[in-house]
Amino acid sequence: MSGRFTRRRARLLAGVGAVVTVIVVLLMTGLGRDPSVIASPLVGRAAPDFTLPQLDGPPVTLAKLHGQIVVINFWASWCAECQAEQAALDQTWRRFQDSGVVVIGVNFEDGAGAARGYVRADDVAYPVVEDAGSKTALAYGLRGVPETFVVNRSGRIVSHAIGPVGAAALSSEINSMLLASPR
Amino acid sequence: MNAAGMLRRARPGLPGLLVLCALAAGLATLATVAVVGHPPASQAEQVQQIAASLHCPICKDLSVADSPAPLAQQMRQEIAQKLRAGESADQIRAGFVAAYGVSVLMSPPRQGVTGAVYYLPLLVLAAGLITAVMVLRRWLRAPQAVPSEAGPPRLAATQRRAVATAVARLREEEPG
Repeated sequence: MSGRFTRRRARLLAGVGAVVTVIVVLLMTGLGRDPSVIASPLVGRAAPDFTLPQLDGPPVTLAKLHGQIVVINFWASWCAECQAEQAALDQTWRRFQDSGVVVIGVNFEDGAGAARGYVRADDVAYPVVEDAGSKTALAYGLRGVPETFVVNRSGRIVSHAIGPVGAAALSSEINSMLLASPR
Repeated sequence: MNAAGMLRRARPGLPGLLVLCALAAGLATLATVAVVGHPPASQAEQVQQIAASLHCPICKDLSVADSPAPLAQQMRQEIAQKLRAGESADQIRAGFVAAYGVSVLMSPPRQGVTGAVYYLPLLVLAAGLITAVMVLRRWLRAPQAVPSEAGPPRLAATQRRAVATAVARLREEEPG
């Protein structure tokens, strides 16, 4: 009688323990994650194509850059974090532009005048395009600026960064891509 | 009974008649909708419906329909353009899910892991009901095992035999 009772109590305790463990594990995984950072479902998939007019230059078509590594950076002149990463993007462009790497700045929800002023004032060297109607931003699942996508030589998105990118991290990623698939 | 008296008696029936008329009208409307169906929604209504089912990606807890953010406005325009191009509501939603993931949907899909949101409460409810039934059955059975305070305590056959033997022995020992 007492043995049966102890076995039942042990089973009950084991069951309650299992449920509590599952809840604790779920909470720990959930609480350790930043809810505002949502992984893009586009990583690993073909980058959505676009043809967008440059602020000062001919239109840029992503499909025509097939075979090159493309860094697509969504930015706006009103975005302080975009200004913070500007130097890193310029540095990446100047360092890798002869190695088959293209940096494209996609202007997001901005006035053409403000964008041009920003490009001139900050001496942005890489091509900057306008995304009127935010069609490209919507195709890339943009949630704000800055956001940066890196596209490999096959045209697939290999990484997505929310917030300002650092020159060291971006260079390291591009270097490893160049080593993995030299031209 | 005179006419005034009849009128007084008839008065209480008037509100009832009105309620009956209203009920009949309501039922007729429901039957019409069930048979004929809803009138086709205009494009603006369709845009509103689809936008209401999508989460504004740059807002907190606002649908694309309710958000005043420029990106939400662009999304509404995109929905209208896609509707004009002949895409269905599901195709349009699928397009946004492909870019933003399922988090763009106001209601999580019933398939996959998110389906647990719909089915888990039902499972928990079923488990609770089963537990409640088991506990109730145990409670209902319990009084049979516990001796009642009103009647004599129930004894096992061996105990009853032992008592009978003791009583018989006492009677034999009693003088007279």
